Amino acid sequence: MTFEIDINGRTRTVAIEKTVGGKYRVSLDGQLHEINAARVGVYGLSLLDGQAGISREVQVTPGTTRGELLVSLSGRTIAATVNGRRTGRAGVDAGGGDGEQTVVAPMPGRVVRVLVAAGDEVAVRQGVVVVEAMKMENELRAPRAGKVKEINVTPGTLVEAGRVLLVIE
Amino acid sequence: MKILIANRGEIAVRIIRACREMEIPAVAVYSDCDRDARHVREADQAVHIGPSPAAQSYLRIEGIIEAARRTGADAIHPGYGFLAENAVFARACRDAGLTFIGPSPEAIGLMGSKTAAREAAIRAGVPVVPGLEQPFAADASAAEIAAAGAGVGYPLVVKAVAGGGGKGMRTVEKPEELLPAIRTARSEAGSAFGDSAVYLERRIINPRHIEIQLLGDHHGTVIPFVERECSIQRRHQKVVEESPSIAVDPGLRRRIAAAAASVARSVGYTNAGTIEFLLDESGAFYFLEMNTRLQVEHPVTEMVTSVDLVQWQIRIVRGERLDIDPERALSPHGHAIECRIYAEDPDLGFMPSPGLVRGLRPASGPGIRDDGGVGVGYTVPVFYDSLIAKLVAWGGSRPEAVSRMRRALREYQVLGIRTTIPFFLWLMRQPEYSAGEYDTTYLDRLLASRRESFNELDADDEDLAAIAAGLDAYLRASAAAAGQGTPESAALWKHAARREALRG
Repeated sequence: MTFEIDINGRTRTVAIEKTVGGKYRVSLDGQLHEINAARVGVYGLSLLDGQAGISREVQVTPGTTRGELLVSLSGRTIAATVNGRRTGRAGVDAGGGDGEQTVVAPMPGRVVRVLVAAGDEVAVRQGVVVVEAMKMENELRAPRAGKVKEINVTPGTLVEAGRVLLVIE
Repeated sequence: MKILIANRGEIAVRIIRACREMEIPAVAVYSDCDRDARHVREADQAVHIGPSPAAQSYLRIEGIIEAARRTGADAIHPGYGFLAENAVFARACRDAGLTFIGPSPEAIGLMGSKTAAREAAIRAGVPVVPGLEQPFAADASAAEIAAAGAGVGYPLVVKAVAGGGGKGMRTVEKPEELLPAIRTARSEAGSAFGDSAVYLERRIINPRHIEIQLLGDHHGTVIPFVERECSIQRRHQKVVEESPSIAVDPGLRRRIAAAAASVARSVGYTNAGTIEFLLDESGAFYFLEMNTRLQVEHPVTEMVTSVDLVQWQIRIVRGERLDIDPERALSPHGHAIECRIYAEDPDLGFMPSPGLVRGLRPASGPGIRDDGGVGVGYTVPVFYDSLIAKLVAWGGSRPEAVSRMRRALREYQVLGIRTTIPFFLWLMRQPEYSAGEYDTTYLDRLLASRRESFNELDADDEDLAAIAAGLDAYLRASAAAAGQGTPESAALWKHAARREALRG
């Protein structure tokens, strides 16, 4: 069975073939791994890789947005999607990029202040909207330099995660 | 005695533990979204007190007093946050014939006002940070504010009179930044504390945040403890605390402890409290404020002194005498470090990351203490502070404690939501942190220049992460095909099969 895994900004091809006794022949982008895998609880996998038996406990759980998986090992957690079920994560630090960009509420909260007006020129990482959530004011920043095309919220607006607050072109 | 805990999360669990050890029944209170919270499940009794927003539940004084009456509780522990430093609440408990486990309403009222507390410190002969003695009037003109700022001198700090936890606080470098900073601080203070009054203090250059834990009984004894160092702060919020401080030698420790005890004695302080100081590079220290409650970071003091502060809070209100050896309280055994694990995504600027906790395996083993507040199956709500656990590591020396903390952070699993664990793993590897060379500005400076993810994996681990995601999908698909799957895994199976077919 073959899967395409989007992980850490790369698409990896993982082909899996069961051999015997919890062992799997796994091809990762054509590179072969002999993996001994054991299920641990609902989300855990104990992996032993190769003759050396490199041991990692990996947890694969559904993430906070639809289609996203969270993969945890060695104390770190990275997002992954299987077979293109990608939703992308809304972010304040989404980085630059051309074209229209949106500033999206990363979680439910209340808009406290809007720091720009439609038509304003903004610099990259300039604060544009302040959202209060969990008692803290969080300043959301412009993902790129540009002109504020539209603003969809006013102070006091309650927003859900994923709501587009403003658009920069 | 029966104690009602007017709080939630990890601190409610911590207090329940003390009650159990003392064989005192513990009553929890909960809001709508906390029905299945850990503190409710671990208490002896639990009472619903209202809807999820704190103003309608954990902050509603009448509801909490009524819950105590209904369950026959005769004492209330407020924890920290919520009503812990609310003199009106402490007085309402007293009026209802309930014992408030904390200082008197008068002491809370006096020390809760930052400007009044400064005056008390000055009267006790303890140095304070230079600044305004009075908050600004709500209608203070721009000219008045500018003149006050110039009088205090730049850089300065705007602070909420009712503040705490870094809320309603802004650092101002230049005169033109003062007005906007006051506006933000007022709005934050107004929504967090219901009091938007702010004042100014000069900013001490490269200060360390040093604080002294105290206990006072009802027989005139006040005992100060070895200092805690809380200089690792993000936007004025403590994220790592330790005891003792690497910057404090035994002579300085005695001087700061004596200053703290004299402020507490001068106001007749009882129960647990903490006096915060700034320590500058020359070793001079300045009174900052007093917290009239149990602190979040109290476990590090407990770990190096073997004193149970929460049990003592209860013993003090019962009228017991403090019989702790004052020398022992000032002589730390080993070193303890606490990391505050928040449901926040460090890769998204520490945005809150509420959601369903699908798995939980706290760290354990030698020298580790986990003050956790959530359980598996609980949905971390959006309504409250996002602290989900405090991880404390003890070692015979500071380097030993740091090594243990790194080990414990790797062990700690919280599944389903993002947490600050990867950030702490990174911080514990920073050379300045390991060397103890930091001040309260260190972390913000370091984070300002950082762009990389805290969840960076090495190439081998990244390969195994991809393999694990693939194997997970494979195993779920196989289970679904064998008729043992959930609808979720069945969907994934169909998707995978379709994909396979397209591949030919």
